[in-house]
Amino acid sequence: MPLRAPLLDVDGLLRGEGLHAVGGGRPPLGRLAATIALGAMLNGAVMGSFGGHGLQAAYSALKMPALLVLAALLCWPNFWVVNRVLGLGADFAAATRALLSAQATLAVTLAALAPVTAFFHASTESYEFVKLLHFAVFGVASLAAQRTLARHYRPLLARDRRHRVALLAWPTLYFFVAGQMAYALRPFLGNPRLPTTFLRDPWWGNVYVDLGWAVRGALGF
Amino acid sequence: MVIPFAPRRGPGAGPAQGLSGESLPMSGWLKQLDALLRGEHTRKDDLQEGRVGLAARRLVLLGLLLGAVYGAGMGLYAAVGGRDGGWRHMASAALKLPLLFLLTLLVTFPSLYVFSALANSRLRLRETLRLLVASITVMLGVLASFAPVTAFFTLSTDSYRFLLFLNVVFCGLAGLVGLGFLLRAIRLVFPNEKGSPEDGGRARRIFRVWLLLFGVVGAQMAWILKPFVGNPHLRFEWIRPSRAMNFFEFVLRSLTNDWY
Repeated sequence: MPLRAPLLDVDGLLRGEGLHAVGGGRPPLGRLAATIALGAMLNGAVMGSFGGHGLQAAYSALKMPALLVLAALLCWPNFWVVNRVLGLGADFAAATRALLSAQATLAVTLAALAPVTAFFHASTESYEFVKLLHFAVFGVASLAAQRTLARHYRPLLARDRRHRVALLAWPTLYFFVAGQMAYALRPFLGNPRLPTTFLRDPWWGNVYVDLGWAVRGALGF
Repeated sequence: MVIPFAPRRGPGAGPAQGLSGESLPMSGWLKQLDALLRGEHTRKDDLQEGRVGLAARRLVLLGLLLGAVYGAGMGLYAAVGGRDGGWRHMASAALKLPLLFLLTLLVTFPSLYVFSALANSRLRLRETLRLLVASITVMLGVLASFAPVTAFFTLSTDSYRFLLFLNVVFCGLAGLVGLGFLLRAIRLVFPNEKGSPEDGGRARRIFRVWLLLFGVVGAQMAWILKPFVGNPHLRFEWIRPSRAMNFFEFVLRSLTNDWY
């Protein structure tokens, strides 16, 4: 992804300038949505390509943006209500810009790290290693997104400290939902020992319950 | 959670409208909810003069609608997967959830009114009731905002205990917000100039205890009105009250038993 793509102004997004300037009025929704979609698609395609599976790459390229968008849509009504109850309605456009810019930064960072993950895909056959690598990549991308979020929220917090509550509530709910969404939409990476499918059969299951059982199993209960 | 005062409306702004039942510049339930959440109907000046500019009937309707939305999300668990009762679970939960909040209010309202009058509150009986109904509608608004998340988890998970836990957490969070809304408003209706600071503090402590009572009664009321989510091993019933156990005992047992 070229960093100076003028249409999306990725450089401006990362620096908080131009179209993506902090406190810059109505957020450029179309550009942000396109950035999220393209970055996520690229990341998804690279993820799914592990082991040379072109079909899995195509599936994951479709599912990754769906994951980010659906998780955000599910949490949106609650963010609206929380902002209203806290009396932060006047800053809602700026808060929206902050959230979308953070998601776009996540997508851009994932895309920027795609060459790294592609390199490891090409140079190792270890599925477990590559899975850990992708977790680490998501972790780093989340940190980058947090930086953008903090940058946009700094003036909001200076205006009204109640923004802290909304700032805490959104990621808590979002990551809780996104975790389950990622589990429901699996596979993304694609276990090479399993056939390539769009979704697993059965697709449903609870990531937190299954994690709980895994931890219990690991501890010997 | 402490929710500070809502900002005052500037000069030239119109009188409180919307849920007051008078001439209504805005239409749509969403806008009415927006105004309520922002505290436009529980402004400092109105409350200190003993006024709560809300029509209880309209507020109750809004609350019923919001509660039904979340209740439908709760009952979805039994509706999918072809369990006994099917879509009747959704209808049952959609009806019972707003009823849960209103019945809890009815049971606890007399005691709040007595405490409030003893503390020289500026709100009379009708205004106190309106304020409580407003707080409950705020609670239901917050709960309804969790409905998409609840519905998603319902569709993607088979674990009954997890869903129970999730619903309890969301109801608890919504309850905290609604009661915070009430607490903020109540702090405005105590006479500052007459009573001593100790009186005001004592009165606020009384209200906090009442809020605890509301939570406890609400939890037990949920137990009486169950099922909402619907145990997959039991057949459908519109209501399944059980006096052998209570809500708190059930939660304790659920946390110490296996997840399934």
